[in-house]
Amino acid sequence: MKRDLLLFLAVTAFSLLSLTGAWGGVMVQCPEDLDGDGVSDVDLPHVVCRHLTGGDGFTVMADGRSMYIFGFGDVTGMPADQVLESGILGAQFPAPTIVLDEGDDFYLTLTNVGMLMRPDLFDPHTVHFHGFPEVASIFDGLPESSVGINMGSSITYYYHIAVPGTFMYHCHAEATEHMQMGMLGNLYVRPAQNSLPDGTDLKGFIHHTGYKYAYNDGDGSTRYDVEYAIQMSSFDPEFHDADLNVQPLPFADMRDKYALLNGRGYPDTVLQGPILNKVNGRNSQPLDSLVHARQGQRILLRLSNLSVTRYYTLSIGGLYMKVIAKDAKLLQASDGRPMSYDTTTVTLGGGESVDVIIDTAGVPPGTYVMYATQAQYLSNNEEDYGGMMTEIVIE
Amino acid sequence: MRVRQIFQFTYCLALTFLLVGLLSEGPAQATIQGISGISFTLVAAPGYIKTPEGNSIFFWGLGSDVNHVQYPGPTLILNEGDTITITLYSALPQPVSLVFPGQEQVQAQGGSQGKVTREATPGRPVTYTFVAAHPGTYLYYSGTNMALQHEMGLFGAIIVRPAGFDPNAPTAYGTSDSRYDREYLFMISEMDPDIHRLVEEGRYSEIENADVFPTYYFINGRNAPDTMAPAFAEWLPTQPYNCMPLMHPGERLLMRIIGAGRDNHPYHFHGNHAKVIAEDGRLLSSGPGKGADLGYSRFTISAVPGHTYDAIFQWTGREMGWDYYGHTSLSDPIERGELAVTATLEAPLSAGSAQVTLGGQGEKEFPMYREVRCLIWSKAYPSPDKDPNREVVKVKRASGNLFTISRGLEGTTARAWSEGDYVAITDHGRPFPVVLPENQNLTFGAFYSGSPYLGNAGNLPPGEGGLNPFSGFFYMWHSHNEKELLNNNIFPGGAMTMLGILPYNAPIE
Repeated sequence: MKRDLLLFLAVTAFSLLSLTGAWGGVMVQCPEDLDGDGVSDVDLPHVVCRHLTGGDGFTVMADGRSMYIFGFGDVTGMPADQVLESGILGAQFPAPTIVLDEGDDFYLTLTNVGMLMRPDLFDPHTVHFHGFPEVASIFDGLPESSVGINMGSSITYYYHIAVPGTFMYHCHAEATEHMQMGMLGNLYVRPAQNSLPDGTDLKGFIHHTGYKYAYNDGDGSTRYDVEYAIQMSSFDPEFHDADLNVQPLPFADMRDKYALLNGRGYPDTVLQGPILNKVNGRNSQPLDSLVHARQGQRILLRLSNLSVTRYYTLSIGGLYMKVIAKDAKLLQASDGRPMSYDTTTVTLGGGESVDVIIDTAGVPPGTYVMYATQAQYLSNNEEDYGGMMTEIVIE
Repeated sequence: MRVRQIFQFTYCLALTFLLVGLLSEGPAQATIQGISGISFTLVAAPGYIKTPEGNSIFFWGLGSDVNHVQYPGPTLILNEGDTITITLYSALPQPVSLVFPGQEQVQAQGGSQGKVTREATPGRPVTYTFVAAHPGTYLYYSGTNMALQHEMGLFGAIIVRPAGFDPNAPTAYGTSDSRYDREYLFMISEMDPDIHRLVEEGRYSEIENADVFPTYYFINGRNAPDTMAPAFAEWLPTQPYNCMPLMHPGERLLMRIIGAGRDNHPYHFHGNHAKVIAEDGRLLSSGPGKGADLGYSRFTISAVPGHTYDAIFQWTGREMGWDYYGHTSLSDPIERGELAVTATLEAPLSAGSAQVTLGGQGEKEFPMYREVRCLIWSKAYPSPDKDPNREVVKVKRASGNLFTISRGLEGTTARAWSEGDYVAITDHGRPFPVVLPENQNLTFGAFYSGSPYLGNAGNLPPGEGGLNPFSGFFYMWHSHNEKELLNNNIFPGGAMTMLGILPYNAPIE
C-alpha cells in the first residue's frame, strides 16, 4: 500500500531528524516523570499530565463518506519512541476529551507529528484552551502572539486550573483551516465543591461524599448524577477534499454540509462502539453522544459549539433543560440569586458553551431526541434523517 | 504558508504606523473616535472602501460631504439629556433616511414621508431631532430599503455620555461598576461584494437580498489587519476608525460591542471573561441603586444585529501559577497588577495558628473551596517585597470569612501578625513551570516578544517578532465563527483584532 510506505518513510524520516538534533524530537514534561513516558511516577495530588499529537487522519461520516481531517490524538503515557507511529494518521475527531479538577496543575504536551497526506505542508500546531481566564500569551496557543510547535517536536503547556466550568480546546494555527479540518475538542473542569467534607451544610443542602456539582454553587443547585460533554461542529466536505487533494481551499465559499455532535452525525451519534475509518482502520471517532439516565437522575449536559461557520440551536423533544451556566460562568446575580432558567432550546455560536441540567424526576421512561431546530441540518449532506441529532434514553 | 508572510508584512506596516501614532504627540488613539456636539450634518453618498487583500468595494456611506463619506458612518458622541439635531442630505439614487433606536422624542421634518420615517432625496434633506435621554451605546441606521441599505453601509454608532461625565474618571452609566480606564468600540458587520457590484453597475433588478452571502467581515469598518492600523490612516480615507485595544494589567477596559450587520457574530476575546453590564443602552439592573447586579460574564459575546453590549474586561494574570513578570525572589519589586486580590486580617494571627479571619474588599473574591497561595505582610509596608518578614502561606476557606492556613512555605517563617495586616493572592516569585522548546523547533508569531514574561524581550531569530516593542501580551479578539476571519478567500483577516496588555512603563495614548 502506498500509504503504508509513506507512513514508514515519515516515521523513519522523523526518527532520523530527531537523532540529528536538528529537530527536538518527542519530549514530554511532567513533574516526577522518572521514565520519560509523560506521567508522574509518584503520587502528586493535583498534577495532571496529558500528551497529545497534532496531525492528520481520516473519519467517516454517517452517510459513509470518508473525510480527511486534521486532529489531535492521545498518546498520554506512551513511551516517546512510539509516539510518532501512533500519532501519524492517528488524529481523532473530536479531539481527546480533557477532564480536569479545579486546583489542578495541568501539563499538556503537544507533539506535532506532521500531516502525512500533506507532505507539502509544514504547519505548526498549537492548543488554545478556549475561554480559560487570565492565561499568559505563551500558553494561549495563539500562534500570532506566541509560538507554534514544528513537525517532529513537542511543546508543553502549563495551566493552573483556577476555575471550574465547561470550556473547549482547539488548534489556533491557521485557525479557519485547522478548525474546519477538525482540531476541536471537549474540555471541562469539575469544581472544588465536589471534594467538600461529608455532611457540609450548603445553605440547608447537605453535601455527601460522592455528590457531584457543575459549579461552586454554594447551595447544591448544580448537583447532577450523570454528565455528558457534547460538542457541536460541522464539516464542509468540499473543503476537506480540497485539502486532501492539495487544491486551493474554498474559504469564502465554505458551506458545512455535515452537522455533527461529538464528531458524528445521526445515527452514528447513538452508535455505541468504534467507527473505523476506511483508510487505515483506526477508531478516529470514538465518542458517541447517547445520553443514558435512570428516571429521577439529574443529567448535566456540557454543550459547546466549535463550528467555524454558524450558530446551532439544540432542542430536546419532551424535556425541559435548566440552563445553569454559560461560558463557564454560573448564572447568578451579584447578590447570589440564581438566574438559571428553564428552556426547550439553547443556541450557541462558535466558541460558546452552556451547561444545562435535565431533571428526570417524574419523566416517563423512554427515548427522547435532542436535535438541531434548524431542521435543514438534520441531514448528512444529501442523506436525510441524520445530522445534528442524538437520543436521551431514560430507563 | 506564504499567506502568513504577507499578513505579517501588512501587520508590520500597520503596527509601525500605529506605534508612530503612539509615540508622537497628537490626538489620543486609545479612545473611541467620533464627532461630538448637538447638531450634525450628514450626507449620504457613494464611495469605495479598501480591503486588505487588495480589493476595492463600492459602498454607500455617511459623512460631512459627498467627498468624505465613511464606513461605518460617523460615531456620534453625545451627552445625556441633550437635544440632538441631525440634518441628512442625500446624493444617493434612492431615498434614504435614518432611525435612532433607543433615543427618545425622535422627530423628522422635511423630505418626504417614507414607510418608517421621513426620507431624504437629492435637494430635499430631512432634519431629525431626538433627545439623548439615556447614557449608553446605540446604533443609528437607515430606515429605508433596509435590506439593501444596511448592506451598503448606512449605519453608525452613537455613544451617550452619562450626566456629569468626567473624562478623568469616566463611567459608562454614572455607576461605580461602569467605571473604566479605557474604552473601545467593536462594531461588527459584514459585506457581500456581489451585491455591491450590482449596485455599482446599477443592476438593481438582479439583487437578491435574501441570498446574501457575505465574504468580508469588519470591525469598525475595517478588516484585519487594517483594524490594527492607526485611526484616520491616509490610505484608508473612507474607513477612518481602527480597533486596537491596549491596556495595562489590572485596568478596566470598556468594550462597546455593536452588532451592525445582518448576521450574528460570536465575538470571542482571548485573555479573560468580560462582564456584560448593559445591553441596548440600559444597565442590567434590578432597580435604582443596584448597579449592574444582573450583569453576566462571558468569554464570547454574540453580537446580534441591531443589538449593543457594554462589557468590562479586566486582566490581572491572577492565579497563573507562575510569576508572569519573571521574578524569582520574593524580594523582587512587586509590579502593579500582581496582587490580584488583597484582603486584611480581621484579628491578630499568632505564629502557631492554623486559622485566620479575613476581611476587607478582597475577602469575597477568595475561592470558595480551594487552597490558594498568598503572601502575608505588615500593614507598615505598602507591598510584600518591602517587608523582609513576609510569609508565604496557603489559605483555604473553611466557612464564611474563616480560612484554614498552611504556614511558612517556600523558605519563609511562620510569624505573628496583627489585625489589619495584608493577605494577597499572588504568584509573586514563583518560577516558570516548564522548559520551552529550542528556537529551531518553534514557529514564532509576529506579536511574540521572545519571552514568556511581560515586559521582557527575549532572543528571537532574525526576522521574527517585531510587532511587540514593549514586550506585552497580545490576545486575539475575533469572531469565533472562524469563517469570518477571511478577506474574501484569503485567511487571515476579517472581524479580528488584537488586544495588547502592555507593561506599566509602556505608554498607551
